[in-house]
Amino acid sequence: MWSGNFKGAIGSLRANKGRSLLTMLGIIIGISSVVTVVSLGEGLKSQVTGQINQLGSNVITIRSGKLVGNGSGISGINLLAFLSTSTLTDKDVQAISKLPSVNSVVPLDFVGSSASSDKRQLDNIFVVGTSSKMADLLHKKVAYGSFFESDDSTNKVVIGSSIAEELFGELNPVGHSLKVSGATFVVQGVLEPSSGGLLSVAQTDFNSAVFMPLKNARSLTNGRTNILQILAKSNSDQLDIAVNDIFAALQKTHDGQTDFTVLKQYELLGIAGNIVNTITRFISGIAAISLLVGGIGIMDIMLVSVSERTREIGVRKAIGATNRQILNQFLIEGLALTLGGGIIGVIVSLIINGLLRIYTSLQPAVTIQIFVIAVGVSMAVGIIFSVTPALKAARKNPIDALRNE
Amino acid sequence: MALIELKEVSKLYGFGDATVLALDEVVLSIEKGEFVAVMGPSGSGKTTLMNVIGLLDRPTHGSYLLDGRNVARRRPNQQARVRRDRIGFVFQSYNLLARLSVLENVALPLAYKGMTPVRRQKRASDILELVGLRDREYFMPRQLSGGQAQRVAIARALINKPSIIIADEPTGNLDSTDSKVVMELLADIHRQGNTILLVTHNPELTRYANRVIYMHDGMIVGDEQTAIGNMAKGARRTHYQKRKVTDDDIAEGVSALMRDVPGKELSAKARKPRPRAKHKKRSAKRLASHRLKAGSRQRREKTRK
Ligand SMILES: Nc1ncnc2c1ncn2[C@@H]1O[C@H](COP(=O)(O)OP(=O)(O)OP(=O)(O)O)[C@@H](O)[C@H]1O
Ligand SMILES: [Mg+2]
Repeated sequence: MWSGNFKGAIGSLRANKGRSLLTMLGIIIGISSVVTVVSLGEGLKSQVTGQINQLGSNVITIRSGKLVGNGSGISGINLLAFLSTSTLTDKDVQAISKLPSVNSVVPLDFVGSSASSDKRQLDNIFVVGTSSKMADLLHKKVAYGSFFESDDSTNKVVIGSSIAEELFGELNPVGHSLKVSGATFVVQGVLEPSSGGLLSVAQTDFNSAVFMPLKNARSLTNGRTNILQILAKSNSDQLDIAVNDIFAALQKTHDGQTDFTVLKQYELLGIAGNIVNTITRFISGIAAISLLVGGIGIMDIMLVSVSERTREIGVRKAIGATNRQILNQFLIEGLALTLGGGIIGVIVSLIINGLLRIYTSLQPAVTIQIFVIAVGVSMAVGIIFSVTPALKAARKNPIDALRNE
Repeated sequence: MALIELKEVSKLYGFGDATVLALDEVVLSIEKGEFVAVMGPSGSGKTTLMNVIGLLDRPTHGSYLLDGRNVARRRPNQQARVRRDRIGFVFQSYNLLARLSVLENVALPLAYKGMTPVRRQKRASDILELVGLRDREYFMPRQLSGGQAQRVAIARALINKPSIIIADEPTGNLDSTDSKVVMELLADIHRQGNTILLVTHNPELTRYANRVIYMHDGMIVGDEQTAIGNMAKGARRTHYQKRKVTDDDIAEGVSALMRDVPGKELSAKARKPRPRAKHKKRSAKRLASHRLKAGSRQRREKTRK
């Protein structure tokens, strides 16, 4: 019965292709926007998780700007902090390195730049100015060569795996030279490919970064002296002590002001999660409105369909269809409409995701759950908004329906 | 025990001043295997009677026993099941579903019975063989001629092996050749022991029936047993019903129409006179309006051709 009904439903939807598609539009927009945003969120979360894997869980992140609230109300404010001048300096790095609870400290500064080998040129790369101790903090090993040992202004750099691949191809880049913003450097090491990047600077991905001593990086940026971010590593059992020590030390160097934030890795994850959830909730709200409008459209079109097909209903009843069977027929028709919309919506979002992967460094991740929820929601919308028209059809008096022209 | 037993069945439409008495205490019993032709002027209640017997409509008063069981007051879903299992409808306008193929149309009643697609299509195929349209299985209804469409409709009515086939002017939209094909088919079905109720305006078609019922004003005013092959006597007398209604006729008004009323003589014989002067006046007016309606309908049909 159900499969027959479904076939019939698809038949009657195809009889009105244009109308069906227009009706589905609301559902398509709603479902595709939710799926896209949720998969972007999932992607971002896994990128952040990737960072933790990259750095290890006992790494403490110190960033400029004050955290408003404790991890929930921060969303945009902290991201914007990176647009203004960082309040972190070399003095802070030295202060932290003197703390007994901290094993090693590295400054991190990011500069957008371009790089080229004698064969190819890459425009969107990051120069990460840091120190030789970065090797201690990196979870991922150096695949070829080694990390630079000196913090002095050497011409040694370590490059990410995708830069290595794109600039040098099959060649082992170690020992080869490359140009960054016009200056020539020698590759000393290549990092293993890694997933995820740093949340602190949007779209930073270690795979397409060039690591060099902070001093060198600064010479590329007309001698900027502040530091975007500081990473500190402690033993896992001393993590909380280290956080407190760092906080106290920095307050001293900042003359009592708290214009910085000290975060443990999982707090960073929490922040990322919060941002993602806030955005997801916002888009879901818009999508819910779209689904509501789509649902009302479906109800509308189903009511039209029921009254157009009054005579058909009469005939079906005359040959023995019960009210329930007529009800099912129209419920399934509404269901087919929204299910179709939901599936098209998922496909649209997969296409958008693919384009985002190609043209941006965002890494949207589609999980089975997203798919199941999208299909479930569209089915629910179909049932809910078809009930009224289907009941109207089912309750028609056979003789009145038959008499309908 | 009769197959169909109507006891003082009345059907009222509307209310207040607009009340129409479409069936007026009809008493009727039909045995299994009868081929009953129902005749009468337009608006006399033939279709209403068929709808009540076919459980498409509920009588306002009276009881209807089908195989000894009162079915008139059953719940809609139970009535739907009785329709599905016991009654086959053939309509003047075929009423095939345009989006389904011939085969699917014929198989539809079995779908509502819950039969699997393979089995019901096999059955439908067999029945189509019976009406000589096996080779049209995968046609869509719009690809059929009127006569073929009506034969498909008959196949659909037959598929559940119903106790009664109700055909309300099945030849109304057909030319004489197609009419003959359809009537021969119904005669075949009758010969196999089926009960058939046929509404018609064509006296010629009473040749297929073994019983003719005449209706007027919602009442059965004549009931005649005839031999199959002969035209019913009463039908011959009402032959003039067939003539076209012109605008002049309508303009002539009530009196002219009263002259037209067939079966008046019949009714004088067939039923005990009852004192209902008041009612008669009302029915005269009503009749006028039906004639008007019928007239416009015929004109519409003319322009369609
Ligand atoms: N739904 C309705 N509402 C009001 N009156 C109705 C309705 N259906 C039928 N009637 C009236 O009931 C009476 C009997 O109608 P019915 O359709 O049974 O006539 P009929 O004998 O089948 O006529 P025809 O030969 O034109 O088909 C008519 O007076 C008609 O106007
Ligand atoms: Mg009629």
